[in-house]
Amino acid sequence: MTLPPNRPERDTDWIDRALDDLAAMPVPDASGDLMARVLGDAEALMPPPGGVQAVRIPLWRQIVQGLGGWTAVGGLVAAAATGFVVGLGGFDTTGTDTIWSLGYGTFYEGEGALAAFGWDFEEG
Amino acid sequence: MPLDTDPQTDDAALLARYARGDAAAARTLTVRLVPRVQAQAMRMLGDVAEAEDVAQEAMLRLWRIAPDWREGEAQVTTWLYRVVSNLCTDRLRKRPRSRVPLEDVAEPEDPTPSVEAKMQTDARRDAVRRALADLPERQRLAVMMRHFEGASNPEIAARLGISTEAVESLTARGKRALAQALKGQVSALGYEG
Repeated sequence: MTLPPNRPERDTDWIDRALDDLAAMPVPDASGDLMARVLGDAEALMPPPGGVQAVRIPLWRQIVQGLGGWTAVGGLVAAAATGFVVGLGGFDTTGTDTIWSLGYGTFYEGEGALAAFGWDFEEG
Repeated sequence: MPLDTDPQTDDAALLARYARGDAAAARTLTVRLVPRVQAQAMRMLGDVAEAEDVAQEAMLRLWRIAPDWREGEAQVTTWLYRVVSNLCTDRLRKRPRSRVPLEDVAEPEDPTPSVEAKMQTDARRDAVRRALADLPERQRLAVMMRHFEGASNPEIAARLGISTEAVESLTARGKRALAQALKGQVSALGYEG
């Protein structure tokens, strides 16, 4: 990079000259030994013909990845389990059918008897 | 070593072919890139053996990255330029200071190259190289591309992926920083007046 003639000297013009001096220094051609070393490295590191084979991922891992990873799968499992339990008890929203199915019928009978006792008492 | 046998194919395409196991692509890239890489390292380091080591290391990194290289993201030559610049900078920073201070090297009296003249030239270049190595990376790259490769501002802008105005600013700041770093040695460098 040469400076234009008749231009006033700037503070950094000497830096231009210093850099140009560095750029103009003779540089030897790359030696045959260097080229051979570089080619040797290239051959040692060269992937097999066709390139690096894609790693085969098992189907179940592809599905997990497709669903968003293990965290997402955990959430899905928890949601499914909750839905199953809620679904089991869903045929009676008060939950009494579930309680009946578990054998608590005597409790309701006792409650009924107590109510009847109350009516009897009021009627004298 | 034969000349570039595939001048029509760009570097990125050759690198992609190398990544698929094409040995001819490796040879073409070596012939094409090693002289440039070695010349850059030589200018930055001023030592043939060190420049060759840096050139080999930079090319080794290129072979390693080849399978993951994404075409269109960067030019191979710019990527290499940056790698070489950083490798040379590391070496310059670790290098012991010159055994003979620049101020102590006698100014040659006759124009015939002498041992003293060579020593002064070497010391002068060494001082500039060290100052260059201390610049922030982008300033260093912009200044080097301008002066070592004769690249224009738009060319440097395209290679670094920045605006032309940013290149102007980088080179101006880089040169001011160099002038500041070498301020006390202007006379010894032989650039006074």
